[in-house]
Amino acid sequence: MSEEFDVVENYKDLLRSSPELSMPVAAIQALVELIKHSKATTMSEFMLSIKDASQRLKSSVRNSISLSAGCDLFLRFVTRNSHDVADFETWKATLIVRGQSFVEKADACRYKIADLGVPFIKDGSVVLIHAHSRVVSLLLQKASENHKRFKVFVTESSQTQGGIRSAKMLRAAGIPTTIILDAAVGYVIDKVDMVLVGAEGVVENGGLINQIGSYQMAIVAKAANKPFYAVAESYKFVRLFPLNQYDLPTYNADTLSFQELNVDYEARVNEDGTIVPGSTAVSAASSTALSQTALHMKTSEDRASQGSNPLVDYTPPNYITLLFTDLGVLTPSGVSDELIKLYL
Amino acid sequence: MSKNNELVDDLVAKLKRRQLVGSSTVAQATLKLLIVVISKSNWTTCNQLLTLVKSVGQRLIQANPTELAVGNIIRRVLHVIREEFRDADVNASQNQPEFQSAPLTTSSSMYNLLGETGSTPDDSNVQYTSSLRSNIIQEIREIKDELENIYDNIKNQASLQIHSNEIIMTIGRSKTVEEFLKMAAVKRKFQVLVAESAPSYSGQEMALELSKAGVETTVIPDSAVFAVMSRVNKVILGTHAVLANGGLVAISGTHMMAAAAKHHSIPVVVCTGLYKLSPLYPYDEDSFNVTFNPDSVLGFEEGDLIEKVTVTNPYYDYVSPDFVNLFITNQGGHPPSYLYRLIVENYDPNDHTFDL
Repeated sequence: MSEEFDVVENYKDLLRSSPELSMPVAAIQALVELIKHSKATTMSEFMLSIKDASQRLKSSVRNSISLSAGCDLFLRFVTRNSHDVADFETWKATLIVRGQSFVEKADACRYKIADLGVPFIKDGSVVLIHAHSRVVSLLLQKASENHKRFKVFVTESSQTQGGIRSAKMLRAAGIPTTIILDAAVGYVIDKVDMVLVGAEGVVENGGLINQIGSYQMAIVAKAANKPFYAVAESYKFVRLFPLNQYDLPTYNADTLSFQELNVDYEARVNEDGTIVPGSTAVSAASSTALSQTALHMKTSEDRASQGSNPLVDYTPPNYITLLFTDLGVLTPSGVSDELIKLYL
Repeated sequence: MSKNNELVDDLVAKLKRRQLVGSSTVAQATLKLLIVVISKSNWTTCNQLLTLVKSVGQRLIQANPTELAVGNIIRRVLHVIREEFRDADVNASQNQPEFQSAPLTTSSSMYNLLGETGSTPDDSNVQYTSSLRSNIIQEIREIKDELENIYDNIKNQASLQIHSNEIIMTIGRSKTVEEFLKMAAVKRKFQVLVAESAPSYSGQEMALELSKAGVETTVIPDSAVFAVMSRVNKVILGTHAVLANGGLVAISGTHMMAAAAKHHSIPVVVCTGLYKLSPLYPYDEDSFNVTFNPDSVLGFEEGDLIEKVTVTNPYYDYVSPDFVNLFITNQGGHPPSYLYRLIVENYDPNDHTFDL
């Protein structure tokens, strides 16, 4: 079929070459590449190769939620259009064109969301954000460009340290930003006017799958009666219906298990789920350096459980005030409507 | 054309001077004006007509931005215009084969990310026909009928909501709630507690109307709402406007009543016509409020005191959607989380803000 074309490698190349690319968009781009290289002669062979490729993509990373949203959307598009094919080759060409225009539109999506979200940021307000999300950063930058004066608290979000990245970006845009500990969400909530988080995926009931810590943030926000807004592009809507935290595809037997084996104590986890190994020798002398890296873990037991910590959590819809998407500002129940329209 | 302008100026002036107030009145006046404008003006393309209606709309909205019903009616009309042009377009291009079926692209917006960018009717060159004009007018007249029959459609659901021997609480004078309760009284025997709604005391008028219709009515001071709430079975409220998230802009005191009801776990039902449903969000809770003449709070005869204090008289309350359990509209009962669906059905997303 397509032995010479490695879709996973292509996907990783794409992400490496342009860090601004989000996972679902890169996945669709990789699948389009696959179609270009496909030598399939029959319809079913073609469909099989795409399905197989998206399966391989999904299993290639540890945290596949937003990636599978992109793959599923593209697969759905291909299957839907496969019924009225007159000429196989022209159809393939159309798919390639559509896929490429999607990549362009995906970028426009973010700008549209930013425009929709800006009016929600009140002058003189304080916004709490979590970790790093491209679309949240863009929204805040836009608001700042629109002469809104506001301050931002951002959680450092240990594991990925995304908060530090966000803070750098926001400060560069002239927005006063303070990094807080993940554990300090409850402490700052009284100073905060609204909570804004991005999304790895938005599930069928309107709930949210996002970087670990979003759920507790939502609970704290609810308790303090502060609005909790989620920002997500519609290609992150994913057909999942998690009933609890342990119902996500990213959950496995190792997650937060009590066994402590040979764990890389200083391992960090990238946004796409790949693990960056730390320096292997952790001596007592280097422990001061460790504390400077904002990994505030004191005992070796604490550090040991790092490797099996979950990357994402699930926020049930009743904690979410509104979702800002490129389809408009939606209530959580609006999400299921959009998903039904796509898959019915 | 100049005749049209005169009519628009007239309505703008009336809105500005607050000679026309109340969502039902302004909605009907707006619709009447739009029918005249659309039937008397020269237009041949969709874009021309949309621009015309939008420019009239912008002037009316600026005249009194707190009357959200004006904007809603204009959005409804814009939606009708788009639909009619789209229909005409589909009819014209029916025999042209397409890559994918048309309804698919219009219905699923997520799918549009990958699909063809469907041509919007704005830029299509639909041939103008006189039947198009009459179709549009016909559709708008249907909205007019809907406005006129709104109370009938809402009050017909009364006996489903109110049961015998219940105690109902309400606040202010809402025509919709009044009709609703009167209708319920035909079949059922129940008691109504009306908060007097100071400083306008519209609750007292409401109580008078209800008692005339033979409903057992008690007026209570606003301060007693919480005290008697534990004995109430249901709170039925009217509203000035419903926002896109299901929040209410209603007479001041409503928030207090809804909060008291929530504390006692008493269901809160809101009766409203669909024309009050606005696609706007409460970016700022005070943005849709107005402050009225403080004379009714502290009269000028209290001269000594007035010099020493500031008196404000806000007319509306913003009530967040988690205080409301059910909306009764002319299309039936809906939970607050369903309102987005009604907005999608009635308004075009391009019209949420009026940018020409």
